[in-house]
Amino acid sequence: MKRVILPLLAGILFLILQTTLFSSFPVQRIRPDILLIFTLYLAFLFPPIFGGILAFFMGYLMDLFSGNTLGFYAFSRPLVFLAAQFFKERFYLEGFSFQSLFAFIFSLLEGILISILMNAVQPIPLGNVYPLFFTFLLPQSFITGLATPLLFFVFQKGSSLLFREPEQGIKERGYRP
Amino acid sequence: MRVRDFFVFRRYHLFIFIILLLLLALVLMSLRAKQRKGVEFFDALLMEVCSPLQKASTFVIKTIQGTFHRYVFLVNLEKENRMLKQKVAELQGETHQMKEMQLANERLKQLLQFREKNSSSMIGAEVIGQDPSSWFKSVTVDKGERDGVKKGMAVISPAGVIGQVLKTAPHYATVLLITDYNSAVDSIVQRTRAKAIVEGKGENRCQLKYLLRTEEVAVGDAVVTSGLGGNFPKGLMVGEVKKVDKKGHGVFQYAELVPSVDMTELEEVFVIMEPLPSSPPPEGKVKKGKKSKK
Repeated sequence: MKRVILPLLAGILFLILQTTLFSSFPVQRIRPDILLIFTLYLAFLFPPIFGGILAFFMGYLMDLFSGNTLGFYAFSRPLVFLAAQFFKERFYLEGFSFQSLFAFIFSLLEGILISILMNAVQPIPLGNVYPLFFTFLLPQSFITGLATPLLFFVFQKGSSLLFREPEQGIKERGYRP
Repeated sequence: MRVRDFFVFRRYHLFIFIILLLLLALVLMSLRAKQRKGVEFFDALLMEVCSPLQKASTFVIKTIQGTFHRYVFLVNLEKENRMLKQKVAELQGETHQMKEMQLANERLKQLLQFREKNSSSMIGAEVIGQDPSSWFKSVTVDKGERDGVKKGMAVISPAGVIGQVLKTAPHYATVLLITDYNSAVDSIVQRTRAKAIVEGKGENRCQLKYLLRTEEVAVGDAVVTSGLGGNFPKGLMVGEVKKVDKKGHGVFQYAELVPSVDMTELEEVFVIMEPLPSSPPPEGKVKKGKKSKK
């Protein structure tokens, strides 16, 4: 039960931080996406089915407080989670630089997916979304990548404290009931 | 056969789960597009749970920021004080001019036997959170259905138009800013009365769409609401034209707009509760292509 409730509460907490604390930064585009980093972290901590549901919930929360009326994140976040699950065994992810690169790539890919979805559902195509790739998506992904090792470390410490099992966290491979 | 089927299911259960999860997301998108009540109820419920925490967090951040600004930046206080005094003097001058203009306006109205427009009722709301995603532009406010806030209501500030209510919960609401890609506001250029639709462009910028090439628009022109959309009263400041481009072909010209309100520093807003009685019904022809945007 603890493994269900705590990630949900953590998700809500990170959403609140993202909509309040990180939004008060002077430059909005250097706001790291903590919920994305948390979703990636869940891929290391949880099995595909339960983690997938958690990722869906994280996406749902994002959609709830965003101007996005349809719910793109409820679609993209489980995809991010499952892709991270697929690649976690195939890459060396212990180092800071690798964790950064991992989050940077996922942030970039999710941004591209969102922009494609945004354009796809519009009755009139939005011509000016793609230039944002350079002005907003790249800097944001870069910042998300930079923040990832630090947040992974915090999440790892937090999960070790909460679950009282030091081996759980980033170093854990898969789910051990 | 049944047992075999079961093993096949076991083998592919992960794959089936992924498909189901993604299908669920797509179904949710479809339900939202159709604006089904069930989804809206669940959204409102989750918003009610999360928003008080958001409000508390905003309060703490604002208090810390306020303390920081008050005590740490005292160094520039004298300079700022002088500047503010000068500004107050300028504003007082402007207020006197405005009063004169208001009196003249009232006299002219009486002469022309125009009926005074009813002032629409407004409710003040505090911004308690920003959009978690950087792709979309919205804010969460601490007034909801219980306070009379409904979907589509106009949200303004003394400086101008902010946006319109997108989602509502009993005590909270999400406001779609005019800078969001999904936003469209029927407007006119104040000087030339040229009609256009103000669409969001993200990053505190908008663009004027369907602005005829034959219309004379210059950098610095003020753009105000036309009152034709039904949501916004006529004459509210939307922004200032920053760039005009007549290059290329086509019936329309391109113009970029900077909103009169700085959307990154919103704190308090007003929700217009009643549409003005004089507002005509929504314009059909231009808005048809943008049905989902309003």
